[in-house]
Amino acid sequence: MVHFDPYDHATHDDPYPIYRELREQAPLYYAEPYKLWVLSRYADCSRGARDFKSFASRFGISVDEAKEQLPAVLTVDPPDHTRMRRLMSAMFTPDAVRPLESSVRELALQLIGPHLESGRIDIITDFAARLPMAIICRLLGFPREDEDMLRGWTDLVVARDEGVTEMPQAAIDATLSLFAYFEQHMAEREHRPVQNDLIARLMQAEKEGVLSHAEVLGNTYVLSIAGNETTTKLIGNFTYQLHKNPAERDLLLADPSLAASAIEETLRYDGPTQLMARTVDRDVEYHGRTLRPGERVLLVFMSANRDDRHFADPDTYSVRRNPHDHLGFGGGLHSCLGAALARLEGRVALEEVLRLMPDFEVEETGLERMHSPAVRGYTHVPVRFTPPTAGRLS
Amino acid sequence: MPKITYVTAEGVEYPVDVGDQQSLMEGAILNDVPGIIGLCGGICSCATCHCYIGPEWAARLSTPSEGELAMLGRAFDRRPESRLGCQVVVTDAIGGMVVHLPAHQSTGDN
Repeated sequence: MVHFDPYDHATHDDPYPIYRELREQAPLYYAEPYKLWVLSRYADCSRGARDFKSFASRFGISVDEAKEQLPAVLTVDPPDHTRMRRLMSAMFTPDAVRPLESSVRELALQLIGPHLESGRIDIITDFAARLPMAIICRLLGFPREDEDMLRGWTDLVVARDEGVTEMPQAAIDATLSLFAYFEQHMAEREHRPVQNDLIARLMQAEKEGVLSHAEVLGNTYVLSIAGNETTTKLIGNFTYQLHKNPAERDLLLADPSLAASAIEETLRYDGPTQLMARTVDRDVEYHGRTLRPGERVLLVFMSANRDDRHFADPDTYSVRRNPHDHLGFGGGLHSCLGAALARLEGRVALEEVLRLMPDFEVEETGLERMHSPAVRGYTHVPVRFTPPTAGRLS
Repeated sequence: MPKITYVTAEGVEYPVDVGDQQSLMEGAILNDVPGIIGLCGGICSCATCHCYIGPEWAARLSTPSEGELAMLGRAFDRRPESRLGCQVVVTDAIGGMVVHLPAHQSTGDN
């Protein structure tokens, strides 16, 4: 009998065999302790992600019991969702984020540079945990000197100990600190010339009556959190996969133009966002059973990405695969708003890691995994490598 | 609200009211028009809201960006009148527009 518990730490270590059992034996599984339906096949997750009329987001999208929360684009349904997302989507297209590439690369070098001589670096704490937060802070328009403080709070918001299914007090406190910071920052902006960034756009929308103040705060909060953790985990996950699959790394070293494809494959094969929750909003049928309004459903995107009904040889990590229809960013109206930015950051990070430390090896005994029902990735990925000669630094 | 008529590859017409400032992709998805997937949610990153807009209407739209043209390279059955629905904003100026849909989108389940 298949057993799936999204909070189980052993499952986090390797969920993929369990996902396969779910797909094969129980494509509509009921996780009794949490009162959750679980969908795991590609066709079901793809349909479910796109069917926003049957599967609502406004009752929460995390596995945790929904808390009172400020309205934000992740947790509203159309027409509110359409109104909010429209304000931001033009700032997140590939064209719009491309000008950030040189900043991302510069920052990557700044972060990795000091570790090159020693031939050792923790890919997460020294590099991947810092890069995305710095970039999203610039996109939002927060001062650089506040980045570390903001990252500290956003890390606390998502951290969970084993067995904890409710938001811990430290996470609640960090959330309150973030909101207090946002309020103060926005109040200060009232006395300064208007900047050209995401916060300015949200504040302008409030002035025009398009967003409420709560929605400005809620969306700022979500953008701060979402821009941080998952991209960090993406960088850690490709580092690990290239360590475990040296032939794939050799392909990338021989042809660096495969970097974007390697990021897509990492998002398919071991993407950070494993699953998301929805709440049934009208009767809908899956595998012969009618799900009723109010029931909660998990869409296990990373199981869908390993479904051999959709992907050939799904358990092989292949940097040449370049899959475009994986569900690593979800799919449909709620598909990841920051996907193009994540792709850019992931690709540049991969290019720089391979350029600066092509022979890196992960010190597996030092690997530490984050435990979360929804996000899979490492908190520590120590690597060692041959220190580069001066010429490679330029 | 501007009226947009979506026509599937099989010739079935879906006349729907689309909210001002919504995209053609959103207009289709929110009104249950089949044939548009919108996998990436409207950030010009997937080419699954591919549609055809005739020259008589295209002249009233802003020209596609470089990013949209690049992404259209991934579209199934691309033609000179191809556009990505997520990059076309619906306004009163294009009320009455007819949008033709391809037989398939390039990725995902139709």
